[in-house]
Amino acid sequence: MRSIFILMSALIMLAICGPMFAPHDPTQINIPNRLSPPSAEWLLGTDALGRDILSRLLHGARWSLGLAFFISIIGLCIGTIAGLLAALGGRFVDWVVMRTTDTFLAFPDLVAAVVIAGVLGAGTGSLIFALTVTGWMRYARVARGIGLSLQTRGYVMQAQLVGLSPLSIARWHYLPSLLPSLTVVWTGMFARAILGISALGFLGFGVQPPMPEWGTMLLDARIHMRSTPLQMIWPGLAVVTCVLATT
Amino acid sequence: MIRVLASLCLRAVVVLTGAALATFALLWHAPGDPALAIALARYDSLVPADVVDQIRVEAGIDAGFWTAFQAWLSPLLTGDFGQSSVTGRDVWPELMTALSYTVPLALAGLLIGITLSVPLALLATRKAGSWLDRFAVGLASLGAAIPAYWLGLLLILLFAVQLGWLPAMGARTSAHLILPALTLGLGVAASLTRILRSGILEARGQSFLPALRRRGVAARDIERHHVAPHAAIPVLTVFGLELAFLLEGAVIVEVIFARPGLGSFLVDAIEARDFPKVQAVVILAAVLFVVVNLLIDLVYRGLDPRIGERDA
Amino acid sequence: MLNVDGVCVKRGGKPTLQGVSMSIAPSRTLAVVGESGAGKSTLIGAILGMIPCAAGTITWNDAPVRRCKPALVMQEPRSAFNPRLCLRRSVMEPLVAQGIAVDAAHLAALCQGLEISADLLDRRPSQVSIGQAQRVGILRALIASPPLVLFDEPLSALDAVTQKHTARLIADLQQNVGFAALIVTHDLGYAAAFADDIAVLRAGRIEELTTAQDFVTAPQSAYGHTLRDAAFALGALEQVA
Repeated sequence: MRSIFILMSALIMLAICGPMFAPHDPTQINIPNRLSPPSAEWLLGTDALGRDILSRLLHGARWSLGLAFFISIIGLCIGTIAGLLAALGGRFVDWVVMRTTDTFLAFPDLVAAVVIAGVLGAGTGSLIFALTVTGWMRYARVARGIGLSLQTRGYVMQAQLVGLSPLSIARWHYLPSLLPSLTVVWTGMFARAILGISALGFLGFGVQPPMPEWGTMLLDARIHMRSTPLQMIWPGLAVVTCVLATT
Repeated sequence: MIRVLASLCLRAVVVLTGAALATFALLWHAPGDPALAIALARYDSLVPADVVDQIRVEAGIDAGFWTAFQAWLSPLLTGDFGQSSVTGRDVWPELMTALSYTVPLALAGLLIGITLSVPLALLATRKAGSWLDRFAVGLASLGAAIPAYWLGLLLILLFAVQLGWLPAMGARTSAHLILPALTLGLGVAASLTRILRSGILEARGQSFLPALRRRGVAARDIERHHVAPHAAIPVLTVFGLELAFLLEGAVIVEVIFARPGLGSFLVDAIEARDFPKVQAVVILAAVLFVVVNLLIDLVYRGLDPRIGERDA
Repeated sequence: MLNVDGVCVKRGGKPTLQGVSMSIAPSRTLAVVGESGAGKSTLIGAILGMIPCAAGTITWNDAPVRRCKPALVMQEPRSAFNPRLCLRRSVMEPLVAQGIAVDAAHLAALCQGLEISADLLDRRPSQVSIGQAQRVGILRALIASPPLVLFDEPLSALDAVTQKHTARLIADLQQNVGFAALIVTHDLGYAAAFADDIAVLRAGRIEELTTAQDFVTAPQSAYGHTLRDAAFALGALEQVA
């Protein structure tokens, strides 16, 4: 638990503070300097429009990590509410919620995300929507499973017997027991969101240029693979590092 | 048993209906006038308003959500995926052509994944905690963290651009299959290795194995009759996940390698706003996914007698 | 007063309670005895409305039992408290649920009666003994002054000395506070010593329902005889007789 917390705070710090260390403006176009190799001035070189790659990477952290954080937290809220509803709401509600969950699980989630983001039109809003809609089900399953097992506990029966409101029961007796497992699920979903954001960016359905986002940067770099292969390494490396750090 | 089967099948039907509804609802609520989009895609210039209206009637867009949903679903049940809204041609043959590129890719990826992961997991679990074991675990988590599109680009960079050994783009010869399949296969290998390893370790830790050994049962028989079936169960449960991985991996890999398979089909269809094609891919994926998971569920119940009828 | 009239309960297609009738007047104690599987826990569940009845009615003063806010003391005292909260929070839960303010004098009196020191309530369930936890469990049951308290094997998790002590505390409290008690137990000695009436439950039916004194001197049913004689043989009824 503690190590998860430390790692997550480190990544969040990176997203917040990273851009402060950027030596250049990440969207500053500088055509004469295009595709220049790494040097003292441009530490990782420049891209096809002469923008500083290091600065773009650092600013990209805010997009990739920040959005991933946001998406995984919304998913956490939706999934937990759905799971608790299923566990506490009786047989019929349980059936409806779980079949809804199954329905959303019936699509390979990246394919679904690509379709949703693509159909709604490229942009950050559709990106968030696409990855949230396809990313709440695992929380719901975990929350429901633990919720059902808690229902047979003495203290939950007592709370129901004395007529404590369902909201208070959820708050005091369910959430604290759910939190450890949900945190583990959350780190996995955070990594998934990072991968999803950059995959959608790479396919052109994600964060739109000129905003620096790792997947989009990779898409740009791909065209110039022959002349400046190094350009393609950095954004990918950033994604892999962040995903490895969370798992 | 028949009750379990019936309830599982019923559940699959409910889920698929929901999936069809969700797909249709998404495309129905997509921004922009679909009739205008179709008109632009067909005629490639500004079109008069009456042509757009004609298309609207023709595509059933004016009929309201439920009518349009029914009009789409009923032929779908007989296997009719409708016509492309851009070219007007049947979706099904084009989908089959795309599949003829994707299925070999997925199978090759799966094959590579299995041939890499099984020996690696077996070697690694000979001695848990050995350097080989740690190597396998490290490799597996690295493999899970590397996104397929980046791995694909790196392979292109190395084998196609730098070394020039293999072709990267297109699908003309069977050599074109190697790099995409490798990209997919390495990802599959990573997750399979991890699951196999923990499955084997758990199977070897079963509490009755020392008793068997003391009674003089041959080590090989123990492995064959008690370890292998037990280790197969977790592998089987994640097979559905692997399928998802293969499908979405294929989508991305095909885009990178410009392979005319399901992925390119889907991305092109989305960009052209050719919704019948998009719907066809999504529904096909959902059917495949649900059916495979249903089969897995059944085999799983057969393999593990502890899973009774209670959670049907 | 509690009225249980012709109650039948089916679980999983099999009947677990068949035509059970009984009543408890205010401030009286009824002990339900019987072996495991006789349907004792089902009876408690049915009275509290957590298990639906297939037939019959259960009422408190002609209204549904839940309306009088009955309290339950559970068999396993530790698991009856949320391990993450201090005991005080759990004890206050009935008051919070009913929106009643804490009556400090009432709380102090109950704590004194149950021999609960002030600091005990600030601990977690894992930091107190089982006997202490059970006394806190009784405190929670009584804090909102319910007219009816159900005890589900209240002593069986405790050791012999604590059992006797706790039984005494419950009886004294009932004298002082006044509540109708239904005690489900397999301990005939406890039932005979502390209850006014005894109901013998066997395979979902009431075998006999008499005063505790009559049961010890002359059980009416054959099964009641067997039970009583077994208890005598173990020395459980010596003091009562």
